[in-house]
Amino acid sequence: MMKTLLDIIVKLGSVDRRVIFLIIALVVFLPLIFPVGLTIKPTDTTRRSFEAVDELKEGDNFLMSFEYGPSTKPEVNPMAVAVLNHAFRKNLRVYITCLWPDGQFMAQDVLAEVLPDYDKVYGEDYVLLGYRPGNEAVVKGIESNIKGLYTVDYANTLIDEIPMMQDVNSLSDIDMVFSFSAGYPGTVEWVQYGCDPAGVKLSTGVASIQVNEILPYENAGQVLGIIAGMPGAAEYETMIGKKGFGTSGMDAQSVAHLVIVLFIVLGNATYFIERKRSQKTY
Amino acid sequence: MTGMEIFGAWIAVFLTLAIFSFLYKDNPFYKIAEHLFVGISAGYWAAIAFWNQIQPNLFGRLWPKVDGELSGLKAFWYGIYNFFGWFHSGIFPEGGIDKGHEIDIWYLIPFVLGMFMILRLWPKFGWLARWSMAYIVGLAAGLRLYGFLSSNIISQIKGSALPMFDSVGTSINSILIIIGTLTGLFYFFFSQEHTGIFGKISRVGIWFLMISFGASFGFAVMGRISLLIGRFYDLITYSSAEYFHASWWVLGLIIIGLGIMAFKEKASPESH
Repeated sequence: MMKTLLDIIVKLGSVDRRVIFLIIALVVFLPLIFPVGLTIKPTDTTRRSFEAVDELKEGDNFLMSFEYGPSTKPEVNPMAVAVLNHAFRKNLRVYITCLWPDGQFMAQDVLAEVLPDYDKVYGEDYVLLGYRPGNEAVVKGIESNIKGLYTVDYANTLIDEIPMMQDVNSLSDIDMVFSFSAGYPGTVEWVQYGCDPAGVKLSTGVASIQVNEILPYENAGQVLGIIAGMPGAAEYETMIGKKGFGTSGMDAQSVAHLVIVLFIVLGNATYFIERKRSQKTY
Repeated sequence: MTGMEIFGAWIAVFLTLAIFSFLYKDNPFYKIAEHLFVGISAGYWAAIAFWNQIQPNLFGRLWPKVDGELSGLKAFWYGIYNFFGWFHSGIFPEGGIDKGHEIDIWYLIPFVLGMFMILRLWPKFGWLARWSMAYIVGLAAGLRLYGFLSSNIISQIKGSALPMFDSVGTSINSILIIIGTLTGLFYFFFSQEHTGIFGKISRVGIWFLMISFGASFGFAVMGRISLLIGRFYDLITYSSAEYFHASWWVLGLIIIGLGIMAFKEKASPESH
């Protein structure tokens, strides 16, 4: 009986990798077609991010920086949509910058999705400053002289002609920065060259792969909160009461994680059983 | 739904499934998608950098828009500009570049350094690129040193000065962070052999590092699944009648293509 069970585990643990790919594809695909609606409970890091934005007052200057591209759009875009919704509801003045070339198009996508629900005027309620190459040098430029760096916005409108840019000269005129980051340059550069030197509040939404890198900054108080990957986005959507792409992907995410854990357990069990059997052979 | 949107959807579906086809095995569909990605990324990045930085912020500062008559040195300077404009009036529009800048001749330095970089393509003068590289390395080192020193060393040391006698939960957390930080630092101290007490402490550090790597792996898996969800979401959207069932058609064509290739490979194994 025991031997049969062990044989089954060994067989399951050594299936062709293409079978595993197929199973993962199925467990991701099926919940997207037939959603289960699992409960989403906000974690502390997401809650702190939400509270940081929520504490801002109407008319405060809020800078959103887009540091991601199409490759990480499914993770980071839902957070940007949720945070922009939150900012517009609170009537914050939103300044958008981009450290990645594709970030500008991501920002335009987010604005196109969110703007129809609000009566916002370009140049008075929000402005898209666009992308500038230079990585950390751009953050440093924003920190010291934003108008020196951005003389025109993304559509080549002179910065002096944009009403909401009249009283903004450097990062210290901004009340809070929210970085949407998927790597370099991103949140780390905002900590090092922007918000730490200027003493400006920073919160962030990052791709899962970057969470561990940012956590020490959050523990040290340099970052107020972290929206971590797609689950973080779903939590933020829950907190603002507006379900979006993050929430719709959470069923698939949860089921896929369960299956992956199962495969890891099976893989390890197979390894130990086979090791034990080979030891007995010799 | 415009024709271009439908066409874009078909391209997106093809590229997605072509990349996924690598999970079966390396094949020409995957190669097409891979090469397109590399080429388009490089071209896209270069075009964006040029039109967002070099044209408005470099040329725009060297030759900003001027009104009225030009004389003397300025006339000569804009004569050079007009010569460039003769080649491409989009980059060098008539009368100067209107991006809100004043003329700033200091920007000739980055212009010359940039030209030096391009000279790498010409072996005889390639050595000049070292000056540009030296500037970039020096600038990056200076800028990064300041950032790391302030945010990663001083602020992180401050951040690890935690309350030890607070609530039970906070105290346990603080003790764990302090033990993890110190033992981790011990592990990376290579001036002494990791034996005896020192070895035992650094071994605790390894455990903390392994937990950290485990967390990173977990987040990496979570990220990859999120990306897969994103692609599947698009594939489901593009499988609708609105897009002429793009996902199903392309999936079928790729499977047929892979099947033919596998059949040919089987028929003449020596050619592969």
